[in-house]
Amino acid sequence: MNLKISALEFVQEVQNGNISAEDFVAKTLERIQNIDEKLHAFLSVNEDAVNQAREIDKKIKSGNKVGACFGMPISIKDNMCIKNSKTTCASKMLENYVSPYDATVITKLKEQDAVFVGKVNLDEFAMGLTTEFSAFGASKNPWNTEYVPGGSSGGSAVSVSAFECVASLGSDTGGSVRNPASFCSVVGYKPTYGLISRYGLISYANSIEQIGPITRTVKDTAFMLNIISGLDPNDNTTVDNKNEDYLSGIDSGIEGKKIGIIKEMIGEGIDPTVLSATKDAISKLETLGATCEEVSLDMVKYSVAAYYTITATEAGSNLARFDNLRYGYDFSVEGYEFNSYISKARQKFGPEVTRRMIIGGFVPSAGHAGKYFLKALKVKNKLTREINEAFKKFDLLIAPTVPILPFKIGEKIDDPVSLFQIDINTVTANLTGKPAISVPFAISNGLPIGIQLFTDSMQDKLLLQAAYALEQTVSLPEVPI
Amino acid sequence: MTKIGLEIHCQLTNLESKLFCSCKANYREFEINENICPICMGLPGSLPRLNQEAVKKATIIAMALNCTIPDKIAFFRKNYFYPDLPKNFQITQLNIYGDTSIGGTGSIMVGDKKIKITRIQLEEDPGRLIYEGSSSKNLITLVDYNRAGTPLVEIVTEPDFENPKQVREFLNILSDLLENLGVSDPSLDGAMRADANVSIEGGKKVEIKNIGSFHDLEKATIFEITRQESLHSRNIAIIQETRHWDEQRKITVSSRSKEEDLDYRYFLEGDIPWVKIDPEIQKELKSQMPESINSKKERYISQFDIPTQVASVLSSDKFYSDLFEVSHTKSNAKEIANIITTDLMGLVDTREKREESKITAKHLTDLTDSIQSGKISRNSAKNALYEIVKTGKDLSQVITELDLGNVSDESELLHIIREVISEESQAVLEAKSNPQTINYLVGKVMQKTKGKADPTLTLDLLKKQIG
Amino acid sequence: MVTEEEIEHVSKLMKIDIDDHKEYVDKVQAMIDYFDVLDSADVESEEISMQEISISNLRNDKYIPFDDKLITKLNNYKGTYVRAPKMS
Repeated sequence: MNLKISALEFVQEVQNGNISAEDFVAKTLERIQNIDEKLHAFLSVNEDAVNQAREIDKKIKSGNKVGACFGMPISIKDNMCIKNSKTTCASKMLENYVSPYDATVITKLKEQDAVFVGKVNLDEFAMGLTTEFSAFGASKNPWNTEYVPGGSSGGSAVSVSAFECVASLGSDTGGSVRNPASFCSVVGYKPTYGLISRYGLISYANSIEQIGPITRTVKDTAFMLNIISGLDPNDNTTVDNKNEDYLSGIDSGIEGKKIGIIKEMIGEGIDPTVLSATKDAISKLETLGATCEEVSLDMVKYSVAAYYTITATEAGSNLARFDNLRYGYDFSVEGYEFNSYISKARQKFGPEVTRRMIIGGFVPSAGHAGKYFLKALKVKNKLTREINEAFKKFDLLIAPTVPILPFKIGEKIDDPVSLFQIDINTVTANLTGKPAISVPFAISNGLPIGIQLFTDSMQDKLLLQAAYALEQTVSLPEVPI
Repeated sequence: MTKIGLEIHCQLTNLESKLFCSCKANYREFEINENICPICMGLPGSLPRLNQEAVKKATIIAMALNCTIPDKIAFFRKNYFYPDLPKNFQITQLNIYGDTSIGGTGSIMVGDKKIKITRIQLEEDPGRLIYEGSSSKNLITLVDYNRAGTPLVEIVTEPDFENPKQVREFLNILSDLLENLGVSDPSLDGAMRADANVSIEGGKKVEIKNIGSFHDLEKATIFEITRQESLHSRNIAIIQETRHWDEQRKITVSSRSKEEDLDYRYFLEGDIPWVKIDPEIQKELKSQMPESINSKKERYISQFDIPTQVASVLSSDKFYSDLFEVSHTKSNAKEIANIITTDLMGLVDTREKREESKITAKHLTDLTDSIQSGKISRNSAKNALYEIVKTGKDLSQVITELDLGNVSDESELLHIIREVISEESQAVLEAKSNPQTINYLVGKVMQKTKGKADPTLTLDLLKKQIG
Repeated sequence: MVTEEEIEHVSKLMKIDIDDHKEYVDKVQAMIDYFDVLDSADVESEEISMQEISISNLRNDKYIPFDDKLITKLNNYKGTYVRAPKMS
């Protein structure tokens, strides 16, 4: 059985009766068993997946209404809650935490008869760019297992790229869906802030993060978006997209569209192969009828510092609830005084999370807030105004997703500041709430390069049209695993 | 010059649900940790869902205290670690980016004194700590989260109070006001709590926390003033600090919390957008506000000629004024006001008694009708009330069952009068010479009839009999 | 420049014990020093703004009990309480 098909192809095949959901899911689990030892994308596998798929086949046979997913195997980044399953955030603090409720995106996918094959790896609490900060071991890039798959949604990108599932949900706070998608040559999408409910997503930086699908094709992303987006009463920050259909008209093309090339994202420090791939993408888009021109977003040069200041502050607060009293791991309070118990219990956080929380206590504290945290909020504001100005002139913006090629595991893990800089092209979309997508575009010496497109808030449909158009201009080699 | 300021926390107990989730707002009937959900427990991935009615009720409170209402309100996180705080931050309100809490500057009159309100904010209550065990050695700290997330309105005053008596008056006025607005039942245990700050002679401000009741608040402020005056008289500097009220020893004690732990790192709550309180909604809320206590009082005096003291009591108590509103007519208003504030009062002086009370508007109108028509005496009415409150039976039924009807049958009355005359020959003689003393004999007739004799008729017949 | 004392102070504030101090301090110092770039951003006049929601789109005030006995799924003491360490 061919596992190397897209989500839409899967649905087609099952609807036509060419394959059964049960067979496909069983084959998928077999694949996971065969290769995941090498890749370590999965933290836990759903043993009941085949049974669930079988039930869906029954539904199909009996002619009852079946959900849009038809039993499609999907992986979920392990920072989203599935009822009665472990949700660890790749952290020892939550090693045995079982959620008593479903995230909204999970509820929606269940309603559409998706089958969750397992929870996938991430940097601990989504803080990182390479998945190396997972407390349960790094994931490997399927294109070259000595290289990082990107992060923090590394497990999602790996599982989709290596055909261990048909699609995945990751979360994107500063590029955590787009970055690994780019490194693993798959599609990664961060929607307009508020388009997808965060209820059930374990918060890292709640004012800027979004859940995002990671898929093999742009059409698959549109398909997923149709299912999981929309106003949710459980999340006051969601917006009404009036049940927009993101799939219809996705091949409308980009004739006449104006695209801005973000100057600060192709500047100093960019890898020459990444730069030439970007230029190639631009000329391809021009062939399709778009006009491309350089645009400057001055605040981009402060965006990384602003991003880490703001996210550290929010993370410090969002992770404060993990004091091991109401849930967590086995560690009795007997004999301990409050402050000493909590401080000791929280030593289970990994080193990167600990560093971020120290920073998160420092930058908003009395005496420092003005210089760091408040400054960062103002940078965020000005950057938003700058990008809004840009969207008065341009329909879309373009830049490479990551200014460098994937690098070896262990190469940058001891230098947090150099690791920060990798985010420079992605944090802008989070800070400004704009939708952005990474489209796989080139392979250089066996390593993937993704191109990023942005549009204005609530223009997600247009973004997907442009991404589809770009995707169709290239034909990439198959992943060598 | 003594200066006292207050921070009053008032639970919005009349709401159905908590501030950010659908658990019950009034947690008091639940078993330990039975009124909780993923949101108020701050479970990973949970998000707050702001209660619309809570915002409206807080707006009404702000309006009643003459506060400015912003057109947008925001919520902030106050970050600190404590076991009763499930997220280890409290969602509250602040005014650091302009005016964003539900009420800005306002004021309220306490007698002739104007007390300025600094601000009003909406926030969530934490859970409760309970201690198990006898000695401090084996003490176990336990947490009940039923209360976590209960909606609180915090009212902060300027240090305008000059003495503890003013504070007490203010708290009474505030309790009545909140009850009258229908936002809270201040008599519920823990529904209203307050912290105070005290300074004397323009000196340093001392905060007092952990005051359990309003009764203790007055005691605490008195103690603190005395403590500061004593230091001052010996030229010892008063330190600016936070002290807590020791309920057992009835003194304020210096708190051991270190200043470094109090950096709350306030920032905007990213899960709750700024809430627009449109002008139309503000107008609607204002128009729907219940009549103020002062307005009712004025109306009772001017419209129904009710004495000031009676009008005061009647208007400031919601239970009484509600009852009055549904039962009075132009003719019986004064009588009903009287019955409510004298005879009924003792029968419904606690929350339990009021909850169980079966009295209705019809009972009151029937009562006043019967008194005015002479069917029963005022004294009998009192007895009837007791039965009515307890059982809710119709007045006529109660009169029959308890034999409360006035004795107005002439022959029956005459019979009793003759009995009295024969028993009280001395008094009869006196009454012949001194007509004033006939009241003693009236009294005796009343005694024999258990207060049911028609007084006017009795007097009449007695006079005739005596001659 | 961030001092070691400041970092220790913050670690108490955030309730995390740091064991290997020097290594942490160096890395945290480097990260915070990077943020100094914010000093040159010309943003003084910027205002803080946020998403807005109308009061009528907020949750209706209704009591809906959670459908599970939640306390049994969390750390509990005698099936009902949550136990905390000794408070000082």
